[in-house]
Amino acid sequence: MNAPRILLLPLTLLASAALLTGCTTATEPAAEPVTGGTLVYATGDAEPDCLDPHVGGNYPQALISTQYIESLVSKNADGEIIPWLATEWTPSDDGLTWDFTLRDDVTFTDGTPFDAEAVKTNIEHLKDPATASSTGYLAVGKIQTIEAVEPNLVRFGLSAPDSALLESLSQPWVGIQSPTALERDQAVNCESPVGTGPFVVTEWVKQQSIALERNDNYNSAPADAEHTASARLDAIEWRFIPDAATRFAALQSGDVDVIDNPQPNNIASAESDPAIAELDAPRPGASNRIELNSGKAPFDDERVREAFIRAVDVSPGIDTLFFGSAERSYSVLSSVELDGVALPNTFTVDPDAAKALLDDAGWDTTDADGYRTKDGVRLTLDFPVSTNQSIPAEQSLFEQIQSSAKDVGFEVKLNPTDLSSWYGALFTNEYNLVSAPYTKVGPDVLRTLYHSDSIIPAPSGYYANLAQLSDPTLDQLLTTASETSDVAERAALYKEAQSIIIEGFYVLPLYDQQNHYLYSTSVEGFRALPTVSAPTFYDAWLND
Amino acid sequence: MTDPSNAVADRPVPHPARLRSLGWLARRVGGGVFVLWMVATIIFFALRLIPGDPVDAILGGPGSQASAEAVAQIRLDYGLDQPLIVQYVVAMSKLVVADFGTSYALKVDVASYVLAQLWSTLVLTIASLVVAWVLALGVTFMTSGRGRGARGVGSALELLAAAVPHFWLASLLIILLSNMLNWLPPISVPGPLGLVLPVLTLALPLAGFLGQLMRESLANAYEQPFVLSARARGEGEWGVRLRHVLRHAALPGISLSGWAFGSLLSGAVVVETIFARPGLGRTLLSAVTIRDIPVVTAVALLSALTFLVVTVATDIIDRLVDPRVANQ
Repeated sequence: MNAPRILLLPLTLLASAALLTGCTTATEPAAEPVTGGTLVYATGDAEPDCLDPHVGGNYPQALISTQYIESLVSKNADGEIIPWLATEWTPSDDGLTWDFTLRDDVTFTDGTPFDAEAVKTNIEHLKDPATASSTGYLAVGKIQTIEAVEPNLVRFGLSAPDSALLESLSQPWVGIQSPTALERDQAVNCESPVGTGPFVVTEWVKQQSIALERNDNYNSAPADAEHTASARLDAIEWRFIPDAATRFAALQSGDVDVIDNPQPNNIASAESDPAIAELDAPRPGASNRIELNSGKAPFDDERVREAFIRAVDVSPGIDTLFFGSAERSYSVLSSVELDGVALPNTFTVDPDAAKALLDDAGWDTTDADGYRTKDGVRLTLDFPVSTNQSIPAEQSLFEQIQSSAKDVGFEVKLNPTDLSSWYGALFTNEYNLVSAPYTKVGPDVLRTLYHSDSIIPAPSGYYANLAQLSDPTLDQLLTTASETSDVAERAALYKEAQSIIIEGFYVLPLYDQQNHYLYSTSVEGFRALPTVSAPTFYDAWLND
Repeated sequence: MTDPSNAVADRPVPHPARLRSLGWLARRVGGGVFVLWMVATIIFFALRLIPGDPVDAILGGPGSQASAEAVAQIRLDYGLDQPLIVQYVVAMSKLVVADFGTSYALKVDVASYVLAQLWSTLVLTIASLVVAWVLALGVTFMTSGRGRGARGVGSALELLAAAVPHFWLASLLIILLSNMLNWLPPISVPGPLGLVLPVLTLALPLAGFLGQLMRESLANAYEQPFVLSARARGEGEWGVRLRHVLRHAALPGISLSGWAFGSLLSGAVVVETIFARPGLGRTLLSAVTIRDIPVVTAVALLSALTFLVVTVATDIIDRLVDPRVANQ
């Protein structure tokens, strides 16, 4: 159903233009925050299966759980770890024991006190196979023992030093929930999880909306919040509106106040609409990129990988298809990652050099259709595309890549599929090119994505190292970096690791993982939590 | 819905014909059960043939990096460690008692969840069918049996309406009625107001289709001797139209309504997604995407069952409107 949507583009543009003529000037923002009102948030991401982010652990869960569940630590806008439910932390000299001091004045919204036992229960819940956690499970992977030393002091014993521990614990998928609530049946906890957050889940009408009400006893705002005490909004109505054009129409008509996942053309038309504001909050972790499968021919030959990267011109496509809402990336890490390295010079486009590289690699004959061949075999690349994860603009970009690769002699076979079949193609190694999103806080995501351990499939069949990059030097760098607590040394190691990945032509970075929010200018104080850029409405208020 | 046996008994038909009708009904029901079983079987094997693993759906969607322990636990809990044929027999025997199991993704009882969604889709579908009939009858009656100009305009409108795809019509209606005129909300809201745009989206193309069909049989009916004799008896123009021509012209429309109902169900996938309405269509779409086998099975069986019931019902209505059908 995604493909025909692109036809709507001119229509939507037309409608936006028509609307602009009727626009009134925005009211001046109120000087003082106002208490009360219900904010309507419309999400285009998938509806979560479970509102407890420990179960599974994907971005739709992160989007909403930030409203009612809080983590031990957070991040500020500068990317530094700041206190949240934990006030301070000290690692032992060998990095194997971590003490976390907890706030002693916080209560879950069901009345259960927040303490060291609660933290212990939560980590155990994440590690319990019955929880079926994936993201949170990975985040606490190195935590071996959990000890409630004192009511407000919890001690983690690690299996190996983990320099990413704080970043891992800052993620919403490792949020702390009421132990009393966790004792309930999983289906019940999925419907009404209990945290310490500024809002409380009161009702979930499937495929429609989730009702959130203010927690009047809230006192645990993260250190970078604008105010303290309870939230200003009375309630949030969290609507599920899967269709992007409808979502934008609902924002324009005032039926909703904030939307996520807007289409690039909507972002562009919102720019000239004084009643709509935009928040660009790229997700951390990896950038959106195309991985070159080096685990099999033809990309097991570095010359062919380089030829592909020299052949395809990505930037003009990004400029035209994304209406200026996305910026070209030359890094495997998101632009919000402090240790990210951009190497634009590695990605210069040069079709002649590409042809020479292909000649050199033995792909020196051309068939009747203009594609390169070697020993009678055509230079073909399978590129399965998940239509659930790639928006129409991105799919069009892939088509442009296909066309510029053809000029040099590559046949790129784009194969749009549903999510299940897409993963099926990856599991069975039937791909040469693939674009897979990955969100995690911190540069340790490089270990998940490019350590050779990640070529071994998880029991579910998934493996994260889709470039199938297997390099002992890189493995060593990534392992050492994950065990190094010295900030500067760690950064240097990650920088070196990124050079190996980029200069070996394993990856073609495209842009940051797109995470834009459009909102009515009557909404004040709305921001994205810097950890994974999920929205937070704790400081927000409605000024009309 | 009229009880079929009563409906047949109401008619003064001779005994053998009545027996024939009961036999006809039994054959339809038996055939229906067979169709449902085939549907369930095909879904069961089709969902397991496509690449991937149902465990993905249970563990928070494909791509989850769950531990080996979690995967083993899930296989055991959901009986996925059993041979395929055992799983099939277990699944089918549960279907007999309407036990659809627990959703892989939502972790809720599938039967009650899907039934709750069915209501929303039925409201949408039935309202669309009614509106489509009203529109089709209105346009054909206004424009048929009159001058060539009126007929031309009517046909053109019907052709246009029948050709418009749902997703495009939906966007057009949103732009026109929500964004420009600000009459209706672009998203589904509780109450009848939120139903207007989704129903129009489904009803307009169907009305065009029904209209085209009825126009032909209307034109046909005007040529029939009974119209001439009715006129000869001194019946007025509207009397002729309502009492005689309509009955004749409605038949193909009624026969087609079973099919129309099925097409509305598939249209619901698009409409429910665009207007953010809960329902079977959206449930099916997301369940297929993440391979939530129990939910897909339940929705498909429920749709097949609804389709069968409606087909039988239209056959019965056909017989009531025109008893000659039963003797053919």
